[in-house]
Amino acid sequence: MRIGVFVCQCGTNIAATVDTEAVAEAAMSMRDVYHAESIQYSCSDPGQRQVIAAAHQHRLDRVVIAACSPRMHETTFQRAVIQAGINPFMLEMVNIREQCSWIHEDREVATTKAIDLVAAGVARVRGQVPLKRGRVPVVGEALVVGGGIAGIQAALDIADAGMPVTLVEREPTIGGNMARLDKTFPTLDCSSCILTPRMVELKHHENIRLMVSSEVTAVRGYIGNFEVDIRKKATCVDEEKCTGCRICEEKCPSRAPDEFNAGVGESKAISIAFPQAVPLVAALRKEHCRQFIKGKCGVCKKVCPADAVDYEQEDELHTEKFGAIIVATGYRLFDWEGAYPDYGGGLYPDVITSLQYERMLSASGPTGGHIVRPSDGREPRDIVFLSCVGSRAESVGRPFCCNVGCMYIAKQAIQTREHLPDSRCYVFYMDVRACGKGYEEVYRRAQVEAGAVYLRGRVGKIYPRGDKLVVMGTDTLIGDQVEIETDLVVLAVGFAAAEGAGELARRLNIAYDGYQFFTESHPKLRPVETTTGGIFLAGACQGPKDIPASVAQASAAAAKAIRLLSREDLETSPMVAEVNHMRCIGCFKCAEVCPYNAIEKQKLHDGRTVAVIIESLCQGCGLCNVACPPQVISLRGYTDNQLISEVVEVLR
Amino acid sequence: MADAGKGHACGVRRRGRDDEIKLVGFLCNWCSYAGADMAGTSRLAQPAALRIVRVPCSGRVDPLLVMKAFQEGADGVLVSGCHPGDCHYNEGNYYARRRLELLKRMLPYYGVEPERFHYTWVSASEGGRWAEVVAEFTAAVEPLGKLHYAGGAPAAAAGEEDGDG
Amino acid sequence: MDELVKAITAALEDCELVLGWARDPATGAGRPERFTSAGQAQEAIFDATCVHNLAVHLPRLKQRRVGIVVKGCDARSVVELVVEREVERERVQVIGVGCDGVLDLKRIWRRHGYGVAIEDDGETLLVDGSEVERQPLLQHKCRHCLDADPSIYDVVVGGRTAEGPEPRGERQELAERFREMTPSQRRDFWRRQFARCIRCYACREACPMCFCRDVCIMQTQVPHWAGGEVNPKEAEMIQLIRVGHLAGRCTGCGECERACPVEIPLMLLMEEQNRALEEMLDYRAGTDIEARPPLLTFDPDRDLWGDE
Repeated sequence: MRIGVFVCQCGTNIAATVDTEAVAEAAMSMRDVYHAESIQYSCSDPGQRQVIAAAHQHRLDRVVIAACSPRMHETTFQRAVIQAGINPFMLEMVNIREQCSWIHEDREVATTKAIDLVAAGVARVRGQVPLKRGRVPVVGEALVVGGGIAGIQAALDIADAGMPVTLVEREPTIGGNMARLDKTFPTLDCSSCILTPRMVELKHHENIRLMVSSEVTAVRGYIGNFEVDIRKKATCVDEEKCTGCRICEEKCPSRAPDEFNAGVGESKAISIAFPQAVPLVAALRKEHCRQFIKGKCGVCKKVCPADAVDYEQEDELHTEKFGAIIVATGYRLFDWEGAYPDYGGGLYPDVITSLQYERMLSASGPTGGHIVRPSDGREPRDIVFLSCVGSRAESVGRPFCCNVGCMYIAKQAIQTREHLPDSRCYVFYMDVRACGKGYEEVYRRAQVEAGAVYLRGRVGKIYPRGDKLVVMGTDTLIGDQVEIETDLVVLAVGFAAAEGAGELARRLNIAYDGYQFFTESHPKLRPVETTTGGIFLAGACQGPKDIPASVAQASAAAAKAIRLLSREDLETSPMVAEVNHMRCIGCFKCAEVCPYNAIEKQKLHDGRTVAVIIESLCQGCGLCNVACPPQVISLRGYTDNQLISEVVEVLR
Repeated sequence: MADAGKGHACGVRRRGRDDEIKLVGFLCNWCSYAGADMAGTSRLAQPAALRIVRVPCSGRVDPLLVMKAFQEGADGVLVSGCHPGDCHYNEGNYYARRRLELLKRMLPYYGVEPERFHYTWVSASEGGRWAEVVAEFTAAVEPLGKLHYAGGAPAAAAGEEDGDG
Repeated sequence: MDELVKAITAALEDCELVLGWARDPATGAGRPERFTSAGQAQEAIFDATCVHNLAVHLPRLKQRRVGIVVKGCDARSVVELVVEREVERERVQVIGVGCDGVLDLKRIWRRHGYGVAIEDDGETLLVDGSEVERQPLLQHKCRHCLDADPSIYDVVVGGRTAEGPEPRGERQELAERFREMTPSQRRDFWRRQFARCIRCYACREACPMCFCRDVCIMQTQVPHWAGGEVNPKEAEMIQLIRVGHLAGRCTGCGECERACPVEIPLMLLMEEQNRALEEMLDYRAGTDIEARPPLLTFDPDRDLWGDE
């Protein structure tokens, strides 16, 4: 065993507080250290060449680099030692910068500590063995979960790159929330006009398989090799036969809530959510259907000219393999009613959400594009918009910004003036956030062209007066209370994670935050990756986002997926657990704690049943190592003896 | 074994003063180790008694390792992982929490003041908090002085009968 | 004990062997016995000298159908072995016996001579023909026994005569003293105790939950937790290993302490750990056959210790 120790000066970053020469000298006295030197910048090209040269000259088989955090340059030095003919796992980095020179002032103290840390690194590397990365083949197909604009974009990007994609959407149609919007800021172009061609393109793409009314129920496996259970829910309509004629919907006697229209208007138990739905196929909701509630009706089945209605249809279970998964499950609006009793908590019909307002603005919406008061169907004259309902509101536990409220209020104010030229719009706002490209201009238009009156402050209370509503708020700019009598109030309600997001995250084994938005692997540098390899995020499921940002993230996620799927196989980390089969007692406590189901039972020739690690599944957490009573499982790179020797050395 | 190699000088005691306390910290690679890095990047001065040992996950920390550290001369042991719910391995720190809490409750019976052991959660972005944790833990152990957990001479005469027979 | 003989004989129709006690001719006390035939079963006894926890043998008989005679405390070990999946409940015929506490034979023999005649009916104890106070001569664990009646059994034989005894006695006093010590006093206490350890591993061998047997990490180089020397430091590491490994497994049967030839009060640590687990998780090992070992699971909503 011949160890070389290289103590980096990092210019003066380390050398100013740590006597690197003294550390190198101390290292020379450590067991099996045959070479130690101080290097000015070890990560620089000359520095690395110095390491490689010394490794050759002193026939080193293990290297300790005392420098910055391994999180910084471990791969740099792994590459260097490979060039020196040394296995990259025979390298140990000792952090004497972030965790020593940068946090201590006393030179003697810092130097002593650095020597201790180097001794621990030497002890650790002594226990290291050469490791080889394994390889696992990659399944060349992607799964996209969620068929909103982010999912559509991601699926199309991957499919256009020539790779097969399955898109799973739990609603009967794709399109997501964007399909419910009338126009989109900042350009005020028609949402359907830009979205529906993408939906149709997706439907007809040769590389895309669309599964609507379907949900992911279980995910097994790992990057490159996921096995996913998908449940296709029975809609009582044969997708192949249905022509989308909507006669069933017209004749259906069972009324049902209209979720697509955010509760504005009513729908039928068998229906197509909107005219441009993709696939253009009816779906039956059993919980509202007379046939299923009362046991008799059968109208839709009778009237269907294509014989597509089938009450006996059952859920289908599919199990498919994918190499990459993109999660694009989007958002829903925050349930504001419970949190805002002062706004009527949903009791006043003329206090509506911005999404309901959006549906009214839509020409194909339930009011045919007419803005009316839900209470009496009259056209409103005065309309008050409230920003930040369930956003930036610590008091209701939603401290974050919804990212889009300011902009869609401005957009809706402009549209309101177009629809009702005599109307007056008031906007209560906290701050107007219009930082995107072309956004400030929309805000200006709302004020200047549409004449919207912006009042800076929160609204404290809304209450009815006659057939009108009184909005009481503060104008913090004039420092006074304001009271506006109005016909209609539109709440810019913030984002919440899609229903069941947390549950899906647990199935996928990805992290999520306290609001059930999925967590990216790194907020800046790995914004579309999750903590689980091979699963990527797109759109508002990761946090509130507008359409351009969702689409951009979807394309980024698609690029990551394409990069993964285009590989034939993947390298796996060799820092995984291993079992000493000779001594395994077969208690399988390891399997019980393994978060990745990476431990299998195997019967040996001698009749014993022992644990084996599926290396491609193991992520190297070491839980099994601790759970194993006779500790015959050890985590490579962090074996008990390595940790023990490290502890002994830092305490010597 | 390969121990036949060079250098037997490794066994020399390195530390100067005998009254200096020594602390060991087991930090998970993904959150706390990164948090400690961040404290360093932010140049947050910290007491120097702590020596950090990197582990993949707080769930990798065997309570026995903590006791081994005490036996080998640690005067305090700190374990820090990702916040509950944020574990890189999803649930490693949940297992760790049960084990470490039990250990904390057992320490006084093993003969170790509970203040000498602390487990906590520090995320990769909590550099400031990490510096505080180190300062507070060091300050908590310092008044207790050296532990001499194992191998030292018994304080009382060995003849005294404590058994039952 | 016709009833017991009958129960064992009945169990033998279904089982290869039944673990029980027979009288040791050398001491007159109970000793473990494997009954394999109806004839042999005639020798089966149960009285206050049947101290052993026979569950210790079950993991090694994993593949076979066996019967076992258990006291209440031993039954907890059987339950815990099922929980630990070391024993399949279906393969074990459990014959429960009512128990009024078993005797600390070592103490009796030390005072009255090895193999002295002992007669006990659960209330009155005659040693060498004369009555002695029974209660202080019981095993320490019996003095605060909560499990006198077996919690699982297929057959139950006999009943208890006395109410549960009061927890009093020298060992109990030691436990109380131990609880009052400061950590540093305990440090010295253990140093003295462990100085007597001869590393015979009897504590481990007697423990029904030490199912690793000959692959135990007390004696391995990989991992190298304990050195090979016989000294207080290594003795302490051995007990730290034992306590750690028995966390959530120890049912408090006291066999380790009973088996210790140098009489180190090993149960002091186990008792504290069991108490801590009960406080933390409301968990008592070996009382719920459906339970999961508490350190092999977690509950994010209830595990709210630490600084969050």
